[in-house]
Amino acid sequence: MPYEHSRPTRNRREWLCDAFNGFGALAFTSMLQQEALLAAARNPLSAKPPQEPENAKAKSVIFLFMAGGPSHIETFDPKPLLNELNGQKRPDHFGEAKYQFVSKDARLMGTKRKFQKYGKSGIDVSDLFPHMSTVVDEMAMIRSVHGDMVVHSAAQYQLMTGRIIPGFPSVGSWVVHGLGSESESLPAYCVLPDPRGALEAGQPMYSNGWLPAVYQPTMLRPGNTPVLNLNLPKGVDLEDRRKTLKLIRELNEANQGFSDPEYAARIQSYDTAFRMQTEAPAVFDISKESQETLDLYGVGKTATDDMGRRCLLARKLVEKGVRFVCVVHGGGPGDQQWDAHADIEENHPRMAAQSDQPVAALLKDLKRRGMLDSTLVVWGGEFGRSPEAEGGKGRDHHNLGFTMWMAGGGIKGGTIVGATDDIGLHAVQEPHHLRDIHTTILHQLGLNQHQLSVLHQGRRERLTELEGEVIKRAV
Amino acid sequence: MRPTLLLLFLTTTWIFAADYTAAERRHWAFQKRTQPEIPVVDKVNYAAAGMNPIDGFIRQKLAKEGLKPAPQADRLRLIRRLSFDLTGLPPSVQEIDTFVADKSPQAYARLVDRLLASPRYGERWGQHWLDLVRFAESDGFEYDTHRPDAWRYRDYVIQSFNQDKPFNEFITEQLAGDEIDPSNAQLRIASGFNRLSAMRKNAGNQEVASSRNEVLTEMTNIVGASLLGVTVGCARCHDHKFDPIRQKDYYRMQAHFAAVYENDVPLSSPAEQSAWKARKDVVDAELKQLKTQMKGLNGDALMRMQARVKETEDKLPDPLPALFSVSNDYEKFKPVHVLHRGEYSKPGEQVGPRGLGVLLEDGAAELGPDVKTPRAELAKWITDGDNPLTARVAVNRIWQHHFGRGIVATPNDYGRMGQRPTHPELLDYLANRFVEGGWKWKPIHRMILLSETYRQASQVQNAAATEKDPDDRWLWQFPKRRLEAEEIRDGMLAAAGRLNLQEGGPSVIVPVDQELINLLYKPSQWAINKDARDHDRRSVYLLSKRNLRLPFMEVFDSADLLLSCPRRDASTHAPQALELLNGRISNQMADALTARMVEHAGKDQSKQIELAWLWVAGRAPTQAERRLSESFLKSQPAREFALAMFNLNAFLYVE
Repeated sequence: MPYEHSRPTRNRREWLCDAFNGFGALAFTSMLQQEALLAAARNPLSAKPPQEPENAKAKSVIFLFMAGGPSHIETFDPKPLLNELNGQKRPDHFGEAKYQFVSKDARLMGTKRKFQKYGKSGIDVSDLFPHMSTVVDEMAMIRSVHGDMVVHSAAQYQLMTGRIIPGFPSVGSWVVHGLGSESESLPAYCVLPDPRGALEAGQPMYSNGWLPAVYQPTMLRPGNTPVLNLNLPKGVDLEDRRKTLKLIRELNEANQGFSDPEYAARIQSYDTAFRMQTEAPAVFDISKESQETLDLYGVGKTATDDMGRRCLLARKLVEKGVRFVCVVHGGGPGDQQWDAHADIEENHPRMAAQSDQPVAALLKDLKRRGMLDSTLVVWGGEFGRSPEAEGGKGRDHHNLGFTMWMAGGGIKGGTIVGATDDIGLHAVQEPHHLRDIHTTILHQLGLNQHQLSVLHQGRRERLTELEGEVIKRAV
Repeated sequence: MRPTLLLLFLTTTWIFAADYTAAERRHWAFQKRTQPEIPVVDKVNYAAAGMNPIDGFIRQKLAKEGLKPAPQADRLRLIRRLSFDLTGLPPSVQEIDTFVADKSPQAYARLVDRLLASPRYGERWGQHWLDLVRFAESDGFEYDTHRPDAWRYRDYVIQSFNQDKPFNEFITEQLAGDEIDPSNAQLRIASGFNRLSAMRKNAGNQEVASSRNEVLTEMTNIVGASLLGVTVGCARCHDHKFDPIRQKDYYRMQAHFAAVYENDVPLSSPAEQSAWKARKDVVDAELKQLKTQMKGLNGDALMRMQARVKETEDKLPDPLPALFSVSNDYEKFKPVHVLHRGEYSKPGEQVGPRGLGVLLEDGAAELGPDVKTPRAELAKWITDGDNPLTARVAVNRIWQHHFGRGIVATPNDYGRMGQRPTHPELLDYLANRFVEGGWKWKPIHRMILLSETYRQASQVQNAAATEKDPDDRWLWQFPKRRLEAEEIRDGMLAAAGRLNLQEGGPSVIVPVDQELINLLYKPSQWAINKDARDHDRRSVYLLSKRNLRLPFMEVFDSADLLLSCPRRDASTHAPQALELLNGRISNQMADALTARMVEHAGKDQSKQIELAWLWVAGRAPTQAERRLSESFLKSQPAREFALAMFNLNAFLYVE
């Protein structure tokens, strides 16, 4: 099945570029050229037009994943009644909730955070986020998000893939599947994990699932080797390697009796690989950014250095045409995530201090570069946190009502969507399931949840599984 | 009543009168197998002439489509194709020489028989099965706890293929080995099939009922996907949208598993067990103490304590050896109900075990509540020679792995959304022979491999055929294929002379970049095997960990270890090139290949080149290739030449 298996990763433009520069300048027979064009036309990563051009506001997505589940009650969803009911049992009329740890006897716990209205829109933000509060007019605050699972792993799978079990394609893979790549030397879908360690759902949550490996995420890891296999092996210099690549091409072409698009595609994949190797490291290097920009993101300050670097890198990647970037904040033991079981007043101020300035800087930086309109930024965790106390000072997981926000990419800034009840337990007004978040992301990119489906083992699979709805008031 | 409404009323009543409509029952895959005659094509009577029947069926369609078969492939290509196909390894130089020199008309058949008898056969074809049943050696999800005894199932599969165990027995042992003979270790291991899925375990309040529901769902769905080739899973929440599988059918299928629970059968003595428990108790006590001290700690102090907890946890003794198995536990047994929208909190009608209704007579009874071996009964139904699905699904998988595409191109879906067979008569013919021949795989392999269809050349220049049938659905040539991830790795090891052919036993953990290990929830799980010789074992013996697939395997489309994978993708993208150019495995093997070239050819560069081509590509270089290789080696390091060899299409594809 030569055609079915042909999954070259280059587009026509890249090919043309190659044919006259670099490796492509090496001898080509006219037959090979035709074949290359044919292969290019079949490139699954070439940029594709949106399915619904009239809705396509965003070209890229930056997903700021607050791992562990930040509390809505301490951040964007003020609940004065909760403070009044502090120490009491939950009144029956608020209904039931299942938690991971706390039992029915748990007592409600007010918050120590102070809220204030900000911006022209007057959206409430707590004192945990002095920087984010300056950009609320860019945000649509969705206070009525809910999901199905109350444990990390399954909730993270749902947030990333729409399913509560691993094995399905992530939203990043779906988006690249739908729109292809705008970049000629960078991976289309990048994940920037928190260096403190892994999350409960592990690597499968970011994966391409059963979509072809061409849609897999590239992990940009902390340290000197952000991308696997991008550095030359020890003792090999670039000039030698250039000659090796030339040999590979010449031997492959010598061996090729006649046109074969799949062989041609593989030959081309070496050109892309070489370009990634020589060009991508410059993009990963943030040291050339101006001091003002570094300061904006808090790079160089102990608390914000890490997250600042990742947010800045996210901007650089999007600027170079990367389609989907997932920036993770929080990793390793629960305490190093937003997972404040033990003491919310210790955990949340610390986590907020690490990410508030970098996240706000990202929005400001995108805006001043004219990129915010075409970049959809999404902020949120796999769930929120319980109105009840856990062990006196902490909060448990809580999936029935919590806050996420979106900004840029055609999102109507300064909007509040939906509401939880007076203690932050259930999403009661305009509730939006996580699949509505997914639907809205696709919608802003000009993709349609139904059109963006793949027949897989007898089922038409889509990111949203069931039908999601676009969060109309946010767009 | 208006006529249209009346019509609607009558139609609906009629639909509900029978369990399944005639139209539903008529779908090709639910029909009994036919007894097709071997065709006569161009006046050639394939049956009478004692010719390979497969060629008759294939050429009949080719003639109908106005296509001509390709000429036969040359011997060099044949032996490489056959070796990778049956063993996942390249032929050795000696094997190539012997085959090319053997002028006997029986030479090819002898080669087929030798390879089918090789223990490497089970390692290759066992992997196909492991993909299908989503075998892995860790739980997945948060803890991704290792399953230290799961390798026994992998060995069971490999041995079963090598013994050519009849497929009906193979299925029965896996579904119900523990019911058939709980004292038989091999059968207990086989029934580990029922617990191969990923498994969610988490801290805190366990949602027992919903977790159990997930486990039962996995047990049921895999039977549909891997054995029956129907997507029963689609009927969990509602009647199947496209196929005649009712929601009730789904839960009746699930009812066979209502009593199944994980069961580890200890292989250690009571004394060993109590000694082990004593060691564990000490660490547990330490852990308990640490966790008490941890309460109320914050910030750095808490982090330090968490690190100590992790260190202490690592001191827990490794689990004692056991059989990774299941058993029926009637104490925990809960009857199965149809669940509204698939939600465990919304039980409806209670149901008992039964096969799929569309394959049974209307009103067929469920098994009674007193049935003690429900899975053995299920196996009996699945392996009944008259079950229209099982044998078709099995022979189609064999065909698919030989030709890259099944006669039914959707190997796990024979329903309406699946593709119809390109050669339905051939499918039935093969399935009939399979069942009549005692459900053995090797005779089917043999028939396929000895056909002229399989022996055709690939990469044939035939513009008309390419135009008419670009996907080669009618097999007018042999479809070349990219090697699978394991074949590439094992092939490099073999070419470099480093392959360690040790068989079976606990899985091997090989070195990977520390950054990847750090991405694990519990990095200490990645305990690399100390003996470096282990790192050179065949890929089927490497640990398959759900939350850390080897990057090499991942980038070359290996199975994701989470869902049933009936067929690998063969994608082409730049990270594959980066892996082969800069990755750990290919560079180590390039060094090894360089050393081997020197060892066998001394300083004779021409011989070095010749050998490298033979080892890597299974043939001598052409003149042009030799010239390019020589000119490169004049100025460039030999290890870069060796690395280039592993990056060639001549290595990565079989034609």
